[in-house]
Amino acid sequence: MINLTAVLSQDFTPADLPAAVRAALGKPLRRAAPLTQLALVGALACLPPERRSRPTILLWQSTSGPRLETLTLLDEVCSGGAEPMPYDFLATQPAIAAAQIQSFLPGLQTAMHLPLDSEGMANWSLLLSLAIVWLNEGRCAQVLCAQLDHAAEAASSHWLALSRGPLENSPASLQLVKDTAGTSLPDTPDFPARLAEWLAANDSQTLSLHSPVAMKLTVEFTRL
Amino acid sequence: MTRPVFIANSALLCARGDSPATVASTLWNGECSAGQRKLGERAFPYFGLPLDEADWMVRAEQALRQVAGQLAPVSPETPLFIASSSFQIGHFEQLGAPFDLPAATASFSRQIGEWMSQSGARTSFSNACTSGFSALDAARSLIAAGLIDDAIVLGVELANDSTLAGFAAMELLSRTAGRPFDARRDGLVLGEAVAAVHLGAKPATWRIASLRTGLDGFSTTGPNPDGSRIADVTVDCLKEANLKAADIELIKLQAAGSPGTDLAEANALRSVFGQHMPPLISLKPSLGHTLGASGLAELAALLACLDADKIPATAGFSKVDPEIALFPMVERSTEHVERALLNLIGFGGGLASLIVERQG
Repeated sequence: MINLTAVLSQDFTPADLPAAVRAALGKPLRRAAPLTQLALVGALACLPPERRSRPTILLWQSTSGPRLETLTLLDEVCSGGAEPMPYDFLATQPAIAAAQIQSFLPGLQTAMHLPLDSEGMANWSLLLSLAIVWLNEGRCAQVLCAQLDHAAEAASSHWLALSRGPLENSPASLQLVKDTAGTSLPDTPDFPARLAEWLAANDSQTLSLHSPVAMKLTVEFTRL
Repeated sequence: MTRPVFIANSALLCARGDSPATVASTLWNGECSAGQRKLGERAFPYFGLPLDEADWMVRAEQALRQVAGQLAPVSPETPLFIASSSFQIGHFEQLGAPFDLPAATASFSRQIGEWMSQSGARTSFSNACTSGFSALDAARSLIAAGLIDDAIVLGVELANDSTLAGFAAMELLSRTAGRPFDARRDGLVLGEAVAAVHLGAKPATWRIASLRTGLDGFSTTGPNPDGSRIADVTVDCLKEANLKAADIELIKLQAAGSPGTDLAEANALRSVFGQHMPPLISLKPSLGHTLGASGLAELAALLACLDADKIPATAGFSKVDPEIALFPMVERSTEHVERALLNLIGFGGGLASLIVERQG
């Protein structure tokens, strides 16, 4: 059985984010782009220290991507007439986030970044389907699924942590099902926040994730 | 449910030609000439697409439609998995300031779907140089699990100054040529490619025997020189395929001529294959390092070579590095290969190993 082990949503102002990193690590994370900082703070909040060495896969999507960093890079390349500062280029490469957080999450064995192509839509359905498939295969012990975004004024992250096998205090289990008739939620970037509301409301026993590009099976959560 | 996943068809447009078969033929003939791309006062060798169009977006459309044409016929509902490390940044460079970037970072994927007449689900992947195999892994996992029946996995990397300038600023580029595993290697040569494979559950010549991705957080720009993480991924890949190292008949290296990454890959290969090292080949001296498209471009090119039983020599290698002490094939071969391993080692710590196996 695949269990949901954490549901988390975080919001930061740009000024607060480095402080949140310091609070999580006990030290600053130098030369880390905002997406990396968001990833680190969220991942550590989802996984208690005793689970950080377990084989883990990180799947994260983003609408904004490294937009601000890309604008800086474009300005340097097109307007500056010189080569960019290496850090400015590295900050536009979201894959680097995983490399920078691996030392704090030693079990992190692979990561995938899935940039989104439309505002207001997300692909939690695909992230969770891959997570369920890979957990059932035994490819890893836990999967972190995330939506990370940052803009000039705010940064936000939404997280779902999944684990193979039962864990104490898991609020729900997940599975892929053919037909769902109960409550459903749309596949939006803030889906974890809506899922948390459903868990807190304690009404229907199951909840499905409705994706406009649904595959043959649907992700269904069952309250435990 | 788990079922085998096959490569039904492939498509490729790169500096060496406009179809996998054409590319295989030019590789067999030893063609490896590169063009040039200027960056301020400096010029770098560069493997550009054989397209004359100057407008970035029009040129991109030509490239994508060309590759879609090679794949046809494909149902328009087929899910599309798109891999790129730079998407349409070259377009914004051409338009100039003020840079009107879209709110959704992969909005270019919508345009790609339209050009390819694909209206089904689209998913984008951006994991630097391993983007292509990340997309391939996701697509083949969903097919194997019965969640989708087929998929187009597309790699797109088109010319832009931002990537070239970024790599140049970090002194990662060669000013002359890519020399994989060679003692004189001094950096990468970048290139463009658009490549795709059509995956499905219906039997075809090549099956994806296994695919594993990994992560090496040693540094943001290169793997641990001891190659231990790369070796772990390759071993996991062999395990998934239920194969022994000795079953692998050919390895398509990541090797692009990078001093550090080539050494790490060699150390990894030595630890996995020991004294039974299969023949090694690198395609990057002939195609360039096409970054997010490289996995799919090199897969399409290699399968075309293997289909013809014509394995090309690796260009750019002539002097053994005693620290690496491995050498890619410098003579062409007509060996019939049943199983090949393809390695990717990416910027940002991404790693991937893929094993393809010939069927029937």
